[in-house]
Amino acid sequence: MASSFEKYQKRRLITSYFSVVISIALVLFLVGLLALLVLNTKKVADHFKEQIALTIYLKDTAKEVEIDQLQKSLALSEYTKSIEFVSKEQAAKAYSQEIGEDFMEFLGYNPLQNSIDVYFNADYVSETKIAEISRDLGEKEFVDEIIYDKPLIALLNDNIKRLSFWILAVSGLLTFIAVLLINSSIRLSVYAKRFTIKTMQMVGATKRFIRRPFILKSVKLGIIGSSISLVGMAVVLYYLDKSFPELKLISDEVLLAAIFAGVLILGILISWLSTFFATQRFLNLKTDELYY
Amino acid sequence: MPETILELSDASIFQRETLILSNVNIEIQKGEFVYLIGKTGTGKSSFMKTLYGDLPLQSGYGQIVGIELQNLKEKQIPFLRRKLGVVFQDFKLLNDRNVKENLIFVLKATGWKDKSRMDKKIDEVLDKVGMKTKSFKFPYQLSGGEQQRVAIARALLNDPELILADEPTGNLDPQTSVEVMQVLQEINANGNTILMATHDYALLLKYPSKTLKCDGQRLFEVVQKQQH
Ligand SMILES: Nc1ncnc2c1ncn2[C@@H]1O[C@H](COP(=O)(O)OP(=O)(O)OP(=O)(O)O)[C@@H](O)[C@H]1O
Ligand SMILES: [Mg+2]
Repeated sequence: MASSFEKYQKRRLITSYFSVVISIALVLFLVGLLALLVLNTKKVADHFKEQIALTIYLKDTAKEVEIDQLQKSLALSEYTKSIEFVSKEQAAKAYSQEIGEDFMEFLGYNPLQNSIDVYFNADYVSETKIAEISRDLGEKEFVDEIIYDKPLIALLNDNIKRLSFWILAVSGLLTFIAVLLINSSIRLSVYAKRFTIKTMQMVGATKRFIRRPFILKSVKLGIIGSSISLVGMAVVLYYLDKSFPELKLISDEVLLAAIFAGVLILGILISWLSTFFATQRFLNLKTDELYY
Repeated sequence: MPETILELSDASIFQRETLILSNVNIEIQKGEFVYLIGKTGTGKSSFMKTLYGDLPLQSGYGQIVGIELQNLKEKQIPFLRRKLGVVFQDFKLLNDRNVKENLIFVLKATGWKDKSRMDKKIDEVLDKVGMKTKSFKFPYQLSGGEQQRVAIARALLNDPELILADEPTGNLDPQTSVEVMQVLQEINANGNTILMATHDYALLLKYPSKTLKCDGQRLFEVVQKQQH
């Protein structure tokens, strides 16, 4: 009889732990997937940004040393992703192929110029930064003209901004809900022990001493919950990568490790803080206020 | 040389805004055994609660085991309670653990580390109240009287200077009451001070001692007529 009652008590306790673990796992699983999404929007956006080229047209009078020098300094500067020198002959060939006839034949000379195409690192693809770069380059005497697609940059940046804003807003909201959800399930499990907490105070235990086992327990549950969510994320990643290998989801190990570690830390942190505040609440109540 | 272990002057005891006792002036010296009597609802428990910091002393002056009650800080309360041994009227055992773990909790909370010394102490206090064989039971598996005896054992753990016992024999049969009373007398003989609230007049007659009485919002010492 007594032992069945004990079993019943234990089961009740386990159910309440179980619900904490499940809510942590589910919520962090969602947050982790969102983090993956957020970080991959940047990847995709960067991919597009890095397609944008600025073309430096060189005067025919430019000396080879000068061109070499410019190429070298461009290659070294931190805004450059890659550069490509296109000689006027190459340009003519490409252009002829494009229009399908040999225009030099009826012109009798090559009107095109030597040029350098510069591709930028994604972080430098903004209107102001590129304008600045092009102004600097334009000051060189042997540079004839600098051309890039200004409206495209503006459009691209605008769209990326709008998209990332919404993704961030939604993730922020979801994270907030996540924290609330975990917090309330932890609060509930502490609430179940409010009389125990009060009694512990009655026999001379300090608040910190009473809090410690609660926090240890919750952190343990937090670790279990976030581990479950990590397993879930790994499974999803595996299948996503299998279906869309071109997204290169698993290529950046450091980033993946950071997300996984972040989810784990978030799980521990949320359960820690929630437990702290939940126990603190009951520790600060007067004995008879527990009944209200 | 008598040492005042508990002293209240011009003190008022409140439950929230309700005045329970007013103009309380008492003194208890180290080593005394003091009864606290009075009808149900006259404020014995409220008085005790004020002494162990569960109710604030809102007016007047109070000193207990060297700690001032009138401006007691929250941080001091645990340390006040460690100097006291409190037997609560409603026992206040931890229902999520067995008797032994209840006692271990108190020892650990008050800074004990050595496991074998803790075991020894627990055996000692449980033996005193005759509960040594039931240390593995959960509080809900014990009778009211047994729980009360565990509560007394718990109050003895830290050899407190002052024991506040709120009806420690309230749930015991007359014979066990006398046994518990003998335990308290023994502890008292060792130099510990005891303040005990009780309705059990048989005990008062059997073990006469200084008696305080709550009546009509007053707390005063009863002058014992039949003392020889
Ligand atoms: N938490 C509370 N809030 C408000 N009033 C209270 C509270 N606890 C007790 N009281 C009131 O304070 C008065 C004194 O109660 P107390 O518990 O001190 O009586 P007591 O002398 O210990 O009685 P008993 O002999 O039944 O234990 C009672 O009138 C009671 O109604
Ligand atoms: Mg009472």
